[in-house]
Amino acid sequence: MSDKYISKEEVKKIADLANLDVSGEVDKLSTLLSDTIGYIQTLKELDTSKVGETFQVTGLTSVFQDDSDSDSLTKDEALSNASDNYKGLFSTKPVFKR
Amino acid sequence: MKKLNELTIHEVLDGFKRGEFSSVQVTEACLNRISNEDKKIKALITLNSENALAEAKKADDEIEKTGAVIFEKKPLLGIPYLCKDNFSVKGLLTTAGSNVLKNYISPFESTVTGKLKKAGAVLLGKTNMDAFAHGSTTETSDFYPTRNPWDTHRVPGGSSGGSAAAVASNMCIFSIGSETGGSIRGPASWCGVTGLKPSYGRVSRYGVVAMASSTDSPGPITKNVKDAAYVLNVIAGKDPKDATSSPLEIENYSPTKNFSLKGFKIGKPKSYFNINLETGVKEKVEEAIKILKEMGAEIIDMDLLDPKYSIAVYTILQRSEVSSNLARLDGIRYGNDRTQFGFEAKKRIMLGTYTLSSGYYDAYYSKAQRVRTLIKSDFEDAFKKIDLIVAPSMPCVAPELGQSEKSSMYGELMDLLSEPSSVAGLPGISIPCGFIENMPVGLQFIGKFFDEKTLIEVSNLFQEGTDFHKDFPSL
Repeated sequence: MSDKYISKEEVKKIADLANLDVSGEVDKLSTLLSDTIGYIQTLKELDTSKVGETFQVTGLTSVFQDDSDSDSLTKDEALSNASDNYKGLFSTKPVFKR
Repeated sequence: MKKLNELTIHEVLDGFKRGEFSSVQVTEACLNRISNEDKKIKALITLNSENALAEAKKADDEIEKTGAVIFEKKPLLGIPYLCKDNFSVKGLLTTAGSNVLKNYISPFESTVTGKLKKAGAVLLGKTNMDAFAHGSTTETSDFYPTRNPWDTHRVPGGSSGGSAAAVASNMCIFSIGSETGGSIRGPASWCGVTGLKPSYGRVSRYGVVAMASSTDSPGPITKNVKDAAYVLNVIAGKDPKDATSSPLEIENYSPTKNFSLKGFKIGKPKSYFNINLETGVKEKVEEAIKILKEMGAEIIDMDLLDPKYSIAVYTILQRSEVSSNLARLDGIRYGNDRTQFGFEAKKRIMLGTYTLSSGYYDAYYSKAQRVRTLIKSDFEDAFKKIDLIVAPSMPCVAPELGQSEKSSMYGELMDLLSEPSSVAGLPGISIPCGFIENMPVGLQFIGKFFDEKTLIEVSNLFQEGTDFHKDFPSL
């Protein structure tokens, strides 16, 4: 299909945004994602000019927790699955170059 | 006579109360069944046998010390169950079927497993699932596919495939699954067991590895409706840790003795029967509808939006929410890094990233949320004239392994009869209603928002008049 909804270049861009490695899968993803986008075009058949969005179905808004003590993780528990830690803190890769 | 692992919750409780057998004996029977059959079925990821036996022993001591009155306080005391591996259980592996979380040991407890623990239930282990619940066959588990106990060349359905296969093969007395769009009803249908998807917000999502946060709904998979209602009684309710859980008061969901279908209106949506249904499935569901009629129900042909729109809505919303929810998996605080995502997860994250990105948001995400409004009001209008909706659970019986790779929309097309009610947040149930060449067919009921009770009453009445739910595969 020549008029793919999502080109290989777009696949690479999206992968970059999503922090995913898709090397070797670009072609396949371009085809599959375009197929899916093609399928969901069916929504254009419905007129939604007069309806709002339903982001959630329960209708609950501004739900607050009681301002009281509640269970929380200890520092050791919070760090128990970390790949690396430094003096009781999560260790991450540097974000900025010096 | 049934073996102990083959009993329902109510049968086990009766046995405990009469002192016929102990929790240790029932737990051992389940563990033996797992040890003998799970090499073939692959329903489990983690086995928790030592803890389970210790809990069972404690339960027996409590029953002996306090007597039957203990079950008023601990309604599931000593009942062994299995739980889908996306529920956090403190101190146990919680992988969500994924390599990213392969070594993740949860430091906290999900509300559902916490409530079950408090009610005395004995956790036997955690069950296999499509990785991060992304699928309808359990084939996208990063570890191995689960097999359908009725025919091990076929899939059990998904994403709660391990939980449904385990109940069908009597490895446990009941199990817990979760549904975002068909993930309880689908595998329950294909494995020939009872699967209840409560209304969104009825059961807390706290501690469940998030998939699509606006539709995720935990629920029970059981051997009959009465058991499903009994488990729902334990797990339902407002949870301060889940802001989307409903403050509406919960009812006693257990079916009443004198419920009658006389004067009851059941809607039969044309658009759910006009799809490409496998011939046998249509026949079995029509036969079930005839039974409902004979029981006194009035069947009303009705119109509902074509489910193809719901699939499109679900696809956009699910992928969008997945891309956001899985963004937290960076390999820093927990789990492995993002190179460990399987192809299906990557595909879904990518689509969601696309539909949420500027320039496409209005065309896809916002459009989907608007169509969701139409779907929701479509159901609301329908329920002004009827009490319940009946439909097949799945368009076909369980297919052989390997089919899901053939289409980018496979899961959605299989789940097309449950996704409309999922995006609208409505409760649904799948119960067995017959067999095609030894493969079970599922009958689905969809109820009004937060009206689980009606679903339970009607499907329980159906089970009281039929025997389909009493059939189990011989392994």
